[in-house]
Amino acid sequence: MTRPDRRSRFGRLFGLALRRPDDAGPDADAELASMMDEQVRHLIERGMDPEAARAEALRRFGTSVPQTREAVQRSAARRDRGIRLREWIDDAVVDIAVSLRSFRKSPGLAAAAVLTLALAIGANTAIFSAVEAVLLRPLPFAHPRELVALWEKNPDFGWDRADAAPANMLDWKKQAEGFADIGGYSSFGDDATLTGKEPPRLLSSRQATGNFFSLLGVRPALGRLFRDEETWRDGDARVVVLTQATWRDAFGADPAVIGTTIELDGRPTEVIGVLPKSFALPGLEVDLWYPTRWDRAFETEVWFRRAHWLRVVGRLKPGMTPERADATLQTVVARLQRDFPVTNARMGAGLTPLHEFLVGSTRLPLLVIFGGVSSLLLIACGNIANLLLVRSVGQARESAVRLALGAGRGRLLRQALTESALLAAAGGIAGIALGAAGASLLAALRPAGLLPTEDITMSWVVLGYSAAASALAAVLFGLAPASVAARRRPAEVLRAEGRGASGSRRATRWADLLLVGQVAVTIALTLGAGLLVRSYLRLSNVDPGFDSRQVLTVSLDLPGIRFDSAAKVFAFYAELERRTRALAGVESAAIVSKVPLGPPSWSSDFAIQGQPPRERAAQVVHREQTHDYQRVMRVPLRRGRLLTEADRRGAPGVVLINETMARMHFAGLDPIGQRLAFDRIPDSTTYWRTIVGVVGDERQVALGTESTPEIIAPYEQEPRSAMTLVVRTTAPPRVLAAPIRAIVADLDPMLAISSIRTMDEIRAISLGRERFLTGLLLSFAGVGLGLSLVGVYGVGSELARRRLREMGIRLAIGATPGGVRWLIVRHGLGLTTLGALLGVTAALAAAGLIRSLLYQVAPSDPVTFVVVPALVLVTAAAASWLPGHRASRTDPAQVLRQD
Amino acid sequence: MPLLKGTLDALVLKALSSTPMHAFEITRWIEDGSRGEFEIEAAALLQSLHRLEERRCLTGAWDITENNRRARYYSLTATGRARLRTETETLKQSVEALTALLEVR
Repeated sequence: MTRPDRRSRFGRLFGLALRRPDDAGPDADAELASMMDEQVRHLIERGMDPEAARAEALRRFGTSVPQTREAVQRSAARRDRGIRLREWIDDAVVDIAVSLRSFRKSPGLAAAAVLTLALAIGANTAIFSAVEAVLLRPLPFAHPRELVALWEKNPDFGWDRADAAPANMLDWKKQAEGFADIGGYSSFGDDATLTGKEPPRLLSSRQATGNFFSLLGVRPALGRLFRDEETWRDGDARVVVLTQATWRDAFGADPAVIGTTIELDGRPTEVIGVLPKSFALPGLEVDLWYPTRWDRAFETEVWFRRAHWLRVVGRLKPGMTPERADATLQTVVARLQRDFPVTNARMGAGLTPLHEFLVGSTRLPLLVIFGGVSSLLLIACGNIANLLLVRSVGQARESAVRLALGAGRGRLLRQALTESALLAAAGGIAGIALGAAGASLLAALRPAGLLPTEDITMSWVVLGYSAAASALAAVLFGLAPASVAARRRPAEVLRAEGRGASGSRRATRWADLLLVGQVAVTIALTLGAGLLVRSYLRLSNVDPGFDSRQVLTVSLDLPGIRFDSAAKVFAFYAELERRTRALAGVESAAIVSKVPLGPPSWSSDFAIQGQPPRERAAQVVHREQTHDYQRVMRVPLRRGRLLTEADRRGAPGVVLINETMARMHFAGLDPIGQRLAFDRIPDSTTYWRTIVGVVGDERQVALGTESTPEIIAPYEQEPRSAMTLVVRTTAPPRVLAAPIRAIVADLDPMLAISSIRTMDEIRAISLGRERFLTGLLLSFAGVGLGLSLVGVYGVGSELARRRLREMGIRLAIGATPGGVRWLIVRHGLGLTTLGALLGVTAALAAAGLIRSLLYQVAPSDPVTFVVVPALVLVTAAAASWLPGHRASRTDPAQVLRQD
Repeated sequence: MPLLKGTLDALVLKALSSTPMHAFEITRWIEDGSRGEFEIEAAALLQSLHRLEERRCLTGAWDITENNRRARYYSLTATGRARLRTETETLKQSVEALTALLEVR
């Protein structure tokens, strides 16, 4: 394919006949021939004989005939191209001028169209910028397609895509042949208190293996990143790498900080480097990175293969497919299952592309939002099309005159399309501006778990999308009015003139069709939103197993350097609890290792005394608390007793279990008095604890996640340094924040509080993602419904206007106003019902896609599928009642006199 | 004698300033007017005509000649008329300047 061909194809695409050599060639030849003829004739007239005259004429043609011919053809072609382009531009200028004049004549209509489109494009731009940032943009690492996440799975624990144990990860790294390198980082964040500056600053840290950054291909912005050997401990020197944001916020972007020693949790630590600004793992908020610095001795210890807390990242060898790499991984997995049956008997592993692993859970909600906002654009286009249609009917006379005067239908079509293109351009530009604002709003809102990246910005991709969406919109809403404009029969229109009903049947049909489509999309969108609302209501009405009202939580993490013995930790928390209890407005207080509706706590296997070890491993989560916790949270006691102050250090080991634990592991057995241990296979060193009570289930991780078996131990018998103070208050809980802060500062001025939240806030946060998704979709549906109702109203008004005369006659010959009203309402309702049927069908077909976002609501939820269409039909009836009512009040005499 | 570079356009415009002509008539007009001094190549003339038409100095249309043959007749537009004025001015000035230069001893 040669270039000119391609250009002409593009030319045709835009209606620009840039080059038509087939026209210019013959034309140039003919001109050349005529000139030759004249020359010969002239020479013969002068007395030359014909032969000589022909020779002389040829001579005068210059160097050679083919060359001359070619040159002339080329210049003729260039001329034609230039002329055509100029004509096109002239036409466009005229079209634009005419369009602008008609906008000036009806500024309200143009403003409504531009505003509607601007809002729709703005919403689309904002949402698409999030989709682009999260789902489309590759990870900011070298050759991101080679990166995979490796994870473990174990059917006994119900694990899939679980964190890996360090020893397993190290064996994969050594033995799996498909990978250039394998490394990892801790799956949990650790608080680190930066002291030496006032006030103490709480930072969040993670550990990474020494090869982690080089594996990702990250280069330091300053200093150096970890070295391979820093996976292992070598001496006591502690080092840390800062993220760009921490370097900026906590150290004023001072390059001199590299190589200096700072105090983290009271320990001197050398800052060795700063990560580049681009470094980001979606969904991970980290301020500083420590190297793992494992002891070489760990390698042979059982816990190193039992504790699962690493997120593992691997880089495939060049040219290696994930499938083949996985095969090499499975070889190692089988070997580990054989060699370490105690820990690995049923431990599997697998891999997922890293990007998919990190953002996979946000794909569906984001796409649902994107689908919602796209539907909104379609509905908006329907509305604008209807607006333009009504106007184009109003302009029927003008275009009929133009047609009668010889304007081509093509020109009229072009004129109509120019109008919609202008509207789309104005709406699109305003929309992109709105969208940029919307995108930064989204980034600022950062709905939990939905946008795992902060970096939501306008990019060329987003701009391209918005421009394409605007262009598509122009076609969508320009098509109907354009086709009406071009198909008009002048004679008909001019004849109908003066009767007030310059009705084009074609326009009516288009308007009806548009309305049906609009209603269908609206119904589908509203049904989707309805399902999410139902699910959200179900979810927020879940009984979490505790009473979240009037409870304040204060989380703390005592740095080991100052609280270097269990006694000091106990003393701190005991004093905190005691003083808090003494505050006015406090009903009860307790200290607990983990509040419900948050990240999971530590877990282990367990054994029941006197029972043979279970064949399959099992998992229980753990919690430690002071005795009053159940009273503070109003968690019911089901059997036995609660903990008391007597269950302290040195006293016999006791535990509470939750109902799920009792049901799953003590079926048909009274758990009270049974003894259990935190190992699966007990030996002589096993410490046995007696179950003294069964308490109600709490939703440990999220409202929508069922409770899992749990063992609750007295805090003093299982010390921890990171604990949360929970306080039931008689006053509004937030009021207690300041006095408790004061107590903490008084007990230890160097201590930073991790968080202060009411339990209601924690509950709200745990629903953040669902609330955001539902709220957004609900507002899209609301706007969509509003636009559609405007559409219904518009179609009804048009109908009433067009058939005004008929209405007048009907009323004159005795029709009741009610009957006339019904005529209009029936039309609107008929179209809405048809649209509703289509929308319901489409929604039924598509709702299954969002099944995983719904909590205890079927995708075909009958309530939603009855209520939503009913709501739409009722409002549609109301919207068409208005024009119907107006029509019914027509004065027959006046209408008939008009003729 | 061949034409000086850049002067053909001006001569074509001048030729058409009184009446529309087709290409050969323009050739004759120039050759006769210069008493045969200037000889016009067909290709150069046609290209000049196409160029001027593209620039909207001329419009061309097929018509029938006195001898009942088809030929493309060119006529001057308002743009062409304006162009002729400026071109004439420029050419006259450069001829004067050239003459002055070449006559310096």
